[in-house]
Amino acid sequence: MRWITKKRLKSTAKAYLFLAPFLVLFIGMVVYPIGLGVKLSTYGQRGARMWYVGAENYTRIFSDSMFWQSFRIPLFLLLIQVPLMLFLATILAFLYETRRRDGAVFRFLYYLPYTIPGIVSGLVWSYIFSDSMSPLRPVLDLLGRSDVKLLTRDNVPPILLVIILWQFTGYTAFLVYSSLIAIPREYSEAAQLDGASFWQIAFRIKLPLLRDPLITMFIFNAIGAMQVFNEPWMLGGLVVLPLNYTPAMYIYNSAFSQGRFTYAAAMGIILAGLTCLFSLYILRTASKQMLGRRLE
Amino acid sequence: MRVKRFFVLLLAVLVLSVPALAADYYPAYNGPETTITMWAWTSNENYSIEEFQKAYPNIKVIWEDFGVHYEKAQTALAAGSGLPDVLMVEYSFAPEYMDLGAFQPINQWLDVDTFVELYGEEALGWCSLDGVIYGTPQDSGAIALFYRQDLFDRYGIEVPETWEDFAVQARKFKEVAPELLFNGPPVGYALWWVGMVWQAGAKMFDYHDGDWYINFTNPTAQQVFEFWGELFDEGIIEPVMWWNADWYNSLNEGTTATVLNGAWFAEWLRYNAPDSEGQWRVMAPPNNDPSNPHNGMLGGSGFYVTAHSKNPEAAAIFVNWLNSHPDSLRCLNQYSNLPVMVSTRYAEILDELAVEDSFFGGQVIVETLWDAHNRINTTFVGLPIWSNLDSSLSLLIQDYVDGKISRFADILPMWEQDVINTMKEFGYTNVIIGELPE
Repeated sequence: MRWITKKRLKSTAKAYLFLAPFLVLFIGMVVYPIGLGVKLSTYGQRGARMWYVGAENYTRIFSDSMFWQSFRIPLFLLLIQVPLMLFLATILAFLYETRRRDGAVFRFLYYLPYTIPGIVSGLVWSYIFSDSMSPLRPVLDLLGRSDVKLLTRDNVPPILLVIILWQFTGYTAFLVYSSLIAIPREYSEAAQLDGASFWQIAFRIKLPLLRDPLITMFIFNAIGAMQVFNEPWMLGGLVVLPLNYTPAMYIYNSAFSQGRFTYAAAMGIILAGLTCLFSLYILRTASKQMLGRRLE
Repeated sequence: MRVKRFFVLLLAVLVLSVPALAADYYPAYNGPETTITMWAWTSNENYSIEEFQKAYPNIKVIWEDFGVHYEKAQTALAAGSGLPDVLMVEYSFAPEYMDLGAFQPINQWLDVDTFVELYGEEALGWCSLDGVIYGTPQDSGAIALFYRQDLFDRYGIEVPETWEDFAVQARKFKEVAPELLFNGPPVGYALWWVGMVWQAGAKMFDYHDGDWYINFTNPTAQQVFEFWGELFDEGIIEPVMWWNADWYNSLNEGTTATVLNGAWFAEWLRYNAPDSEGQWRVMAPPNNDPSNPHNGMLGGSGFYVTAHSKNPEAAAIFVNWLNSHPDSLRCLNQYSNLPVMVSTRYAEILDELAVEDSFFGGQVIVETLWDAHNRINTTFVGLPIWSNLDSSLSLLIQDYVDGKISRFADILPMWEQDVINTMKEFGYTNVIIGELPE
């Protein structure tokens, strides 16, 4: 008996040894900072002076309209960009599937924007929409609309939409595609024999089977929408955007340009909490529906 | 050339013949050998440091350049450790750091009288609070009018001496060259607008004896906003976003005829609008009464001894030497490309540095800008919430640009209200509204 426990102990130790590189970084870079953030958020601070205030920062956040207004852009992205992108990515994935063998070039090309850091693409896009150097200028001139200003504050949300779609659609399509090729061929072959068209098979047969990966991607992108920062930050050089244009920008500006670190920490915790709740809600509704379907 | 060398020699003799005086400015360092660190984004500061280490072999200076480092500095400040001994901060942001306790007093090594002698009385507003000195001023942000001689010639525009004339020329320019812009004040950039009020001989806020004063809507400030507002409202000129590729492009291509900016902008122009070489000229800004000219500043930075410094004596000696000793000022001009330093001792080497500048069509801009600097005859302390001051104005002017505010001058009282609210939000109870100290 004893040697079994010993052996088990040994293998457990081995497992932890292999886990160690991850665990050390995870604890050091994720768990510890969150703990520190929670602690910081219970302090008041001005410069180097800190004093305990309990939940005061949190109660202040609930009446801080600047914080809640900052969710307008994430909501816009959540309601428009994320569904639109998942839709486009799915269509793209269906098309990829028709060219499994020789479509690699397209998959690669559409994937490329994702490999460019957000700050860099933000910079390039800000040139594309800039007033004097935009490549769209000659087009506007041709149309006799030289007076149109491309980058106004009201145009920033649609511009964000374009940038983010450009950046992530190809990547998402690739993920959808990889789930798609895991679906057994028999299903679509059977449907085909019954006389279903390509799009009928795509939407009636394959789409329901893609449900789980799509929900996962919806959650990931929703989290991305809540935390959007790079793109509006870069556009901020060309058009004035408020300090609280998105929650992440408001948190960043509060901490680093106004020096209100503890307040920013509290906002960070709230944002993380909201994101977590939102993800749980989506997961629960989704799994409930799935359970319901199975029970039928 | 020979004449210049003669002057250099004469100057050297003069400097050497008054060692007693020099010793007063720069106390000896008797402490143990030490190393201090400095964060600064001025380019090529190492030349001045080398000179300093010749004079003070026991003090070693390590210079680190993180670009504009406010975020890093704010983090170190909140953390309670990690600031260098010497921190470069723009004059506008310095009061915030003083108020937050980021700096420590250096009066012990640089008393008020010496400070005034070396940097002028006005500089007290940028480096001290209530007589407590925290650092020394480096470059001047004296406002100057940069203008395109080629465009002025082509369209028959005259160099404006008064603001009234500036408006006349702007209107004329709009008529003859409607596709170009006579002047594009910044969307936001509070420094610029505060600077224009300062240039008109007034201020919008100040600090005195433990109280912050706010009065944006005083007659002079209102007059300044009305002046620009009228030109905007009539569509003669328009506010534009500064510091982005579009803006540099317009300066480079010659679609903007004039820029009002700090003296240091001469260098920015040189590097960001290289194709416009030879076309620009610079002059002291227009005044309402040219016989009694004023000027204000737009930018410029000081070097402050931080609260985290373990050797404030060495740091204090260094910041004073760096920003006032002619050996250092010479390097700052020649290698760091700063056209005008605040120190009164800059006058000692002015003749040597006043050379023709081909970018400005052979104009001796150092002289012009030094003259513009010497017109600064008032001072005040900035508010300790500068980034909010800035973003609030940016949003209001953007609202105006977007057509949400119809009369530009209406921005001033809205801005004031915003700033008062922020001061309250940030916990300042010592705010006096509607008046300013003398």
